[in-house]
Amino acid sequence: MTERQPFEVVTSEPAPPGLAAAVHVERGAFRLDVEIGADPGEIVAVLGPNGAGKTTLLRALAGLLPLTDGRIELGGTVLDDPAARVFREPEHRRVGVVFQDYRLFPRMRVIDNVAFGPRSRGVPRAASRQLARHWLERLDVAELARQRPPQLSGGQAQRVALARALATEPDLLLLDEPLAALDARTRAAVQGELRDHLAEFAGPTLFVTHDPLEALLLADRIVVLESGQVVQQGSPHDITVRPATDYVAKLVGVNLYAGTASSGRVELDAGGTIVIGDAELAGRALVALRPSAITVHTTRPDHSSARNVWPGRIDALASLGDRIRLSVSGAPSAVVDVTAPAVTELGLGRGQDVWLATKATDLSAYPEPS
Amino acid sequence: MSRPIGSDRRRARAGVPLALVPPAAIGAAFLLLPTVALLIRMPWTGLRALYNDSDVSSALSLSLQTATAATILSLLFGVPLAWMLARLRFRGLGLIRAAVTMPLVLPPVVGGVALFLALGRFGVVGQYLDRWFGFTLPFTKYGVVVAEAFVAMPFLVITAEGAFRAADRRLEEAAATLGASRLTVFWRVTLPGIGPSLVAGTVLCWARALGEFGATITFNGSLPGKTEVMPTKISLALETNPEQAEALSLILIVIALVILAALREQWLRPAVSS
Repeated sequence: MTERQPFEVVTSEPAPPGLAAAVHVERGAFRLDVEIGADPGEIVAVLGPNGAGKTTLLRALAGLLPLTDGRIELGGTVLDDPAARVFREPEHRRVGVVFQDYRLFPRMRVIDNVAFGPRSRGVPRAASRQLARHWLERLDVAELARQRPPQLSGGQAQRVALARALATEPDLLLLDEPLAALDARTRAAVQGELRDHLAEFAGPTLFVTHDPLEALLLADRIVVLESGQVVQQGSPHDITVRPATDYVAKLVGVNLYAGTASSGRVELDAGGTIVIGDAELAGRALVALRPSAITVHTTRPDHSSARNVWPGRIDALASLGDRIRLSVSGAPSAVVDVTAPAVTELGLGRGQDVWLATKATDLSAYPEPS
Repeated sequence: MSRPIGSDRRRARAGVPLALVPPAAIGAAFLLLPTVALLIRMPWTGLRALYNDSDVSSALSLSLQTATAATILSLLFGVPLAWMLARLRFRGLGLIRAAVTMPLVLPPVVGGVALFLALGRFGVVGQYLDRWFGFTLPFTKYGVVVAEAFVAMPFLVITAEGAFRAADRRLEEAAATLGASRLTVFWRVTLPGIGPSLVAGTVLCWARALGEFGATITFNGSLPGKTEVMPTKISLALETNPEQAEALSLILIVIALVILAALREQWLRPAVSS
């Protein structure tokens, strides 16, 4: 038995039927170092900014980029393991990919695009077309069968791309920024459909996105990737309520403060104190505060149930559609969402001194992950 | 368009030094004049009689056959060669690239001599063809095909190489994830993707093969009914029967015009910097 690398996936028990991967890729100065798994039927979102390594991760899983180190195992089959000199070419993996730009073959009809996979995997021509028709029907785009990709709208192309990936009956489905190529209006419509289609897929699904909303709406579990590292993972609820880093907090639009907790208060590193509901919490802690959980006052609210009241100055105002987001500097600084009428009513503007208030029950405080 | 025509015109003129216009006009006239002269002097009334010569039809038919065969050979070997030049990286690639470019810069007559030394009866390879199979290439129509392919293939290779280089690799990746073997990817994705360029390269190659003279006559002579193709016949006819030379030239001009018309999208469109 050779010495085990620390990141190696232990497979002494019966192999899990889903995806288990330790992905280590080095490309010049960039290092991707991610352990990720997905159970059959589970939808995992990899959320991160551009350049975090999301697409690199996807390409490694698909076999378009060999690992520098680590191991990828899918349904008990090893796909890539440089130490053991195992590498399965993409055409020998059962991995379906929906690319960000869909990559439909422009000269083939839609039906031939979808039949391409089965055909390439040795299914006879007629049966392949039959299969393709079946998948087009399942995705409600059977009427597009005779069209060519350049004639399709973004939403249609996405469904065809999904049908094409599913027609190979993959053991793992990968989607790269599935909604990024769509305009805002199509996006909202496709989002719901995509959720339904992904729910029908029996295998593990992994998609990457830089859009937190997409991750929150589509995924069962979110893995946050930053500079090639996983900084947090958990359910959409966990991520929004207890962001682990500043980046995640910004991503999900939450104020996040680090500090030291003792007897129901957190002394913030950046200055200021916040009263929390939890008297048990002690030591290093994070406090997450939703922008809509903070109220704004032009004078000090003396008769308020809010436990936390502190002064600040408005640095900037930005429109968020139906709300106005205020950036307020103070101890601590915070972003606050208020309604547009409230802004006019209170006469809020840049440079104005205000009071912020929040109830201890509207925030979440939890130990800082080490 | 709501913009007045005048402003378009002014814009087109802006920044062009007028001193360049006269030499440009002379250049264009120089390129056009010979074809025009040929058409002016064409013995239009006697064409029928001139074409009735049996040597003419055999030369034309041999030309079409050999140019087509040379093009097929070029496709069979040139397309994989172009793919290799565009996609593979290994030591000695520069040498292969030089070999492909060589026939383009080499005077065709020298190409013919070189072919003779390689494939002639006593040539480096040709001696074995003769010794083992009793087969000699020069002065046969197969020799014509070989000479034409030698000169014309680089045109196809270079066109196809550029297309392979510019081809959309992302589609090839998509095909691989769908389970397509590398050969399937090549046949069903890469090759159809470079279709237009491949057609252009093939036509260019065929046109070059059809017009090939230097290497062909050096390697094969010009034996009527055997190795005499249109260009060699025209060249020889110019000394004995100039009117026939003119009439034969007309045929090649018509073919050239047809090719030009067919490929106008490819060549006559102004190149736009992207």
